[in-house]
Amino acid sequence: MAKNLSGDLQVASANRLADGVVVWLDDAGQWTTRLDRAAIARDSRTAEILLLRGLAEAFTVIDPFLVAVTEDDDGTIEPLSLREKIRASGLTFDAIAADAVRYA
Amino acid sequence: MPLYREATSEALIVEDPWLRLADDAAVPADGMVLVSFARWREARAALLARRGPVGVALANTDPVEALAPDVSRLDLVTLHFPKFSDGRAYSQARLLRGRFAYQGELRATGGVLQDQAAFMLRCGFDAFESEQKGFGEALAKARTLFSIVYQPAEDGRAPASLLRLKRRNVLVS
Amino acid sequence: MPDTHFYRYDDYDRSLVSERVDQFRDQVRRRLAGELTEEQFKPLRLHNGLYLQLHAYMLRIAIPYGTLSSRQLRKLADISRKYDRGYGHFTTRQNLQLNWIKLEDAPDALAALAEVDMHALQTSGNCIRNVTADHFAGAAVDEIEDPRIWAEIVRQWSTLHPEFTFLPRKFKIAITGSPNDRAAVRVHDIGLRLWRNAEGEVGFEVIVGGGLGRTPMIGKTLREFLPKNELLAYLEATLRVYNRYGRRDNLYKARIKILVHEVGVEKMRADVEAEYAETRDGLLGLDNETIEAIARQFAPPELPPRPERVSAVEALKLVDRDFALWLKSNVAPHRVKGYAIVTASLKPAGAPPGDASAVQMEGMADIAEAFSQAELRVSHEQNLILPHVAVEDLPTVYVALGRLGFAEANVGKITDIIACPGLDYCALANARSIPVAQQISNHFASLARQHDIGDLKIKISGCINACGHHHVGHIGILGVDKNGVELYQISLGGDVDFGKTALGTILGPAVTADKVVDAVDSLVGTYLDTRAAGERFVDTFRRIGAEPFKDRMYAAL
Repeated sequence: MAKNLSGDLQVASANRLADGVVVWLDDAGQWTTRLDRAAIARDSRTAEILLLRGLAEAFTVIDPFLVAVTEDDDGTIEPLSLREKIRASGLTFDAIAADAVRYA
Repeated sequence: MPLYREATSEALIVEDPWLRLADDAAVPADGMVLVSFARWREARAALLARRGPVGVALANTDPVEALAPDVSRLDLVTLHFPKFSDGRAYSQARLLRGRFAYQGELRATGGVLQDQAAFMLRCGFDAFESEQKGFGEALAKARTLFSIVYQPAEDGRAPASLLRLKRRNVLVS
Repeated sequence: MPDTHFYRYDDYDRSLVSERVDQFRDQVRRRLAGELTEEQFKPLRLHNGLYLQLHAYMLRIAIPYGTLSSRQLRKLADISRKYDRGYGHFTTRQNLQLNWIKLEDAPDALAALAEVDMHALQTSGNCIRNVTADHFAGAAVDEIEDPRIWAEIVRQWSTLHPEFTFLPRKFKIAITGSPNDRAAVRVHDIGLRLWRNAEGEVGFEVIVGGGLGRTPMIGKTLREFLPKNELLAYLEATLRVYNRYGRRDNLYKARIKILVHEVGVEKMRADVEAEYAETRDGLLGLDNETIEAIARQFAPPELPPRPERVSAVEALKLVDRDFALWLKSNVAPHRVKGYAIVTASLKPAGAPPGDASAVQMEGMADIAEAFSQAELRVSHEQNLILPHVAVEDLPTVYVALGRLGFAEANVGKITDIIACPGLDYCALANARSIPVAQQISNHFASLARQHDIGDLKIKISGCINACGHHHVGHIGILGVDKNGVELYQISLGGDVDFGKTALGTILGPAVTADKVVDAVDSLVGTYLDTRAAGERFVDTFRRIGAEPFKDRMYAAL
């Protein structure tokens, strides 16, 4: 179902300076928390340009970099590596809630 | 790079009167001459025999002990910080100022950042090369950033432990 | 300010912490305004304990020598609610980590900490880190002298030390005051062991160059016996040699253990002693009055006489099997008769090890206030300790802990797992560790089974940096990444009991995540089948070696 496993597809990502939140560069060159809005580069030249755009907008973020992704038939983007998957979607277990007294 | 000296209160940059002598250049008869450590080792006698003040620029891997016998005859020692994170020159500074009782100008080179200033002052530096905007103002405030220090260094400040002893002894009349 | 039985800040200490908050607030302002680059700012935020992890910033709050008051713990709960997601993680260096801090909130969080004399100073960066100590200090039966007195003295000397703030790498010091080393001093950059010599004097053995990580090493004795009042002069000499000569060319070769390894301990000793000959007569000498003034603050609490044998406890043991097991595993003897040291297990079955919610933290603060002189400890095994509980109060404390989910009778047992945050949180990790810990924990949840298996320390690290201390686990598990797949390398026989400090032996090729539980199960099976009477898992391993374990494990997978 997921196409393009070779890693030709890239998006630009960073962590927001003020709060550390994971963000992705969208088509308008703005940083968004929504991976589904990330601008996709489909070849290495475009990826270079994408990264440069990210670096140009780096005032509010820390160290932009490229992330290899896959794209489904319906356009769903998912990072290739486990690290980036976790970065995009959060913890892989349930963290305890503030008012937890026993681990559920 | 702009040179700041402590004891000039407000953002003042001073002119550097020293001539940085290339290793293969002839030693001028007078004037303020700053040489590399290698040159110092090679031409020490000649350098001290001249009329003008002598300074030595150390790399942070050079043995500061080698200067110990001559500290009273040096007017400038520069110590280098190749990177913000490379802290070897702090030890060199303390040894020079403290153990070897060097009293001339002790200058930090390599482009100092204002957040290092307080530590450097405590280690005995009194001159700083910095390209950072606002460095002068930060330097002026660096000595008073912290009203208390916990350990003795080369700035003569009494550590908290000593102040506590004094305070207790005053109370115990 | 309620009385505490450990160091109380005076106005000097408070001014330093508060001025540090001001300084950091200004540094954050300058960073957010773009006046500082990330490269310039990063060391500054690290020196205030602020990391950038995968999802967010993480704040590592210092808990000096693992000791805190109920009031302080309540404040931590508060801060976790206000500035984070309402929970925290107790670490292998006795600190607390909050995982979802915002940079723009960090100065306020630090200001809140300062209100209860806490901070995040030097919990990261290439400087001297939190000095850890025996988590049973001041209460242990076998204690020669309370190591926290010295941990406090070292803490002050090392805080904002102008010469040692930009070391080649981080520097970790641990201190034990007891021959049964619960502080793992032989795997620290410097370990200090208080002992009494033939003349009856108490002094330090100074151990240098231990550490885990990429090149695990066991520390070597630098100095057999150091008089106590010379501690700071000696440490200054050692740190100066390290600052000057530690490697700076390679991040992975920059710890003092590498320097000791490369020049040899004799040369290291010679250099340190030469430097020490100069420092010892200076201002770093500790006079008796200064030592006494600090030691007094660690004077043990006046514990009113309480009965040693309590019929209610005996009776409950008979009817409540879990309570009986809890007494065996989670309760240790106290130097004062009629009292006990209680470990609250932060490893309930299936839970992320070492985590506590805000409500759980507050609950612990309440229990400590009512039953443990308002004092708690954090162990490097990621549990909380109530150091001064009357035996008579054990049933009540057991029930209270149970309400929090912290009464599982598994301390030192197979589900008392140490795990680093791993790839779920940490940007350095290669693999996840918390889900592995959860699976193992669920698999071995039966208390009866755990107690039958006996003492077995599993330690899990998500990468070679070894924050989970896997090298010294009886079973060590190291997460690695091969072609994007998480694999786990298993080692046996690591230990940190003094005199038996040992690094684990790797069994063979790493296994996939879905095989880890089976692997551990098989290792336990080998042990149960071959153990001699009274042998713990690690003892059997020492007796029969790795082969039987390895063969059966790989056959089973």
